Amino acid sequence: MAASRKATVVLKTVKKIAIQFSAFESNVRSTREFLAKVGSEKARATNINCEVISTVKHDKSEPVVDITYVDGERLLMKGAKLTSSEMLNTFQSLCTAKDPQAKTAAKK
Amino acid sequence: MSVNAAFLRHFRNRRFLSKMAATLCVKLLPKQGWLPLTQSVRHGSKAVTRHKRPMHFIKQKLMAVTEYIPPAPAAPPGAYPRETKSVQEETPLMLILKRNLEKVFQDCKMIAVVQDSSSSAEDMMSLRHRLHKHDIKVKFFPNEVMRSFLNNSIYCNMAPLIFGPTVLIVSNEPKVKEMLKTLRGSPQMTLLGACIENSLLSAEGVLSYSKLPSVTVVQGELVSGLTMMTSRTASLLQRHPAHLSALLQQYVKQQGTDAAAAAATAEEAT
Repeated sequence: MAASRKATVVLKTVKKIAIQFSAFESNVRSTREFLAKVGSEKARATNINCEVISTVKHDKSEPVVDITYVDGERLLMKGAKLTSSEMLNTFQSLCTAKDPQAKTAAKK
Repeated sequence: MSVNAAFLRHFRNRRFLSKMAATLCVKLLPKQGWLPLTQSVRHGSKAVTRHKRPMHFIKQKLMAVTEYIPPAPAAPPGAYPRETKSVQEETPLMLILKRNLEKVFQDCKMIAVVQDSSSSAEDMMSLRHRLHKHDIKVKFFPNEVMRSFLNNSIYCNMAPLIFGPTVLIVSNEPKVKEMLKTLRGSPQMTLLGACIENSLLSAEGVLSYSKLPSVTVVQGELVSGLTMMTSRTASLLQRHPAHLSALLQQYVKQQGTDAAAAAATAEEAT
């Protein structure tokens, strides 16, 4: 990943993350890994106002990650055929796009 | 003298191949065109240097020609599964952990699988403390051990739950309500499923299990429902005679009151 060396995710531009998946399916692995990385203490510490909500269902539905940003934009990721690193990449690239000032200041 | 010194210096500064080689192979070497007879070295630089010593051009050419070209795979690496599946021997630690797991599954009636994406040590401590009050234990087992144990036992359908950071919450009695209440306090714990009394339940199943009333209440409800049917049929059958007897009683009462009223008016008249 050329974006940032840090393994943590910066959630400053995110308002809410809702992750739902069906626990007994075999295609939820990447979604669960994404949840683990996004819901970690470090990630939560970057933005305490951001809610990370996870719903466990049993209806064989696709695993879906729904992210609402501070400026109202929504990012919907269907994690059935995606890997967790791909999801993280998209998510972080959008985050950096949304919040260029802080990132460029940090990089400089 | 100076000429001698210069000559000697020339000799010293230029290394020659060994005289024997020079005399013996003097005819072969020019034909091979291999190594030059003289290698001019000015400062007597070493063979082993700290920087990468520039290779001679001919050596560079040789290395370039003899580079390793791996054989192109017919199929991409992930296309076909491996022919011989590598079976790792189970380490003694794994065996011990498996035995512990077996005991846990035998003893505890309620085993819940929870994913915690983040829990600091303090959070875990407070959660464990709260659960300990209700005699519920929190256990960690490595995922591989869990999966290998589950696949060999009857609980194989629990295996897809065990991915990533998972925690086992076990207890001897199925105290689901208290567990759910404590888990609701820590937002990052996600209940994935539970095995309660040897039956696998999903998260919603666990919720509905917690809302179930106790066994006696359910039995009472069942009994009352059954008897209601029979009592209704009995009352239906007895409706007519009951109605008749009620009417007759009413009639008798009326007769009695009429007779008493008639006797009272007769007394007043006389």
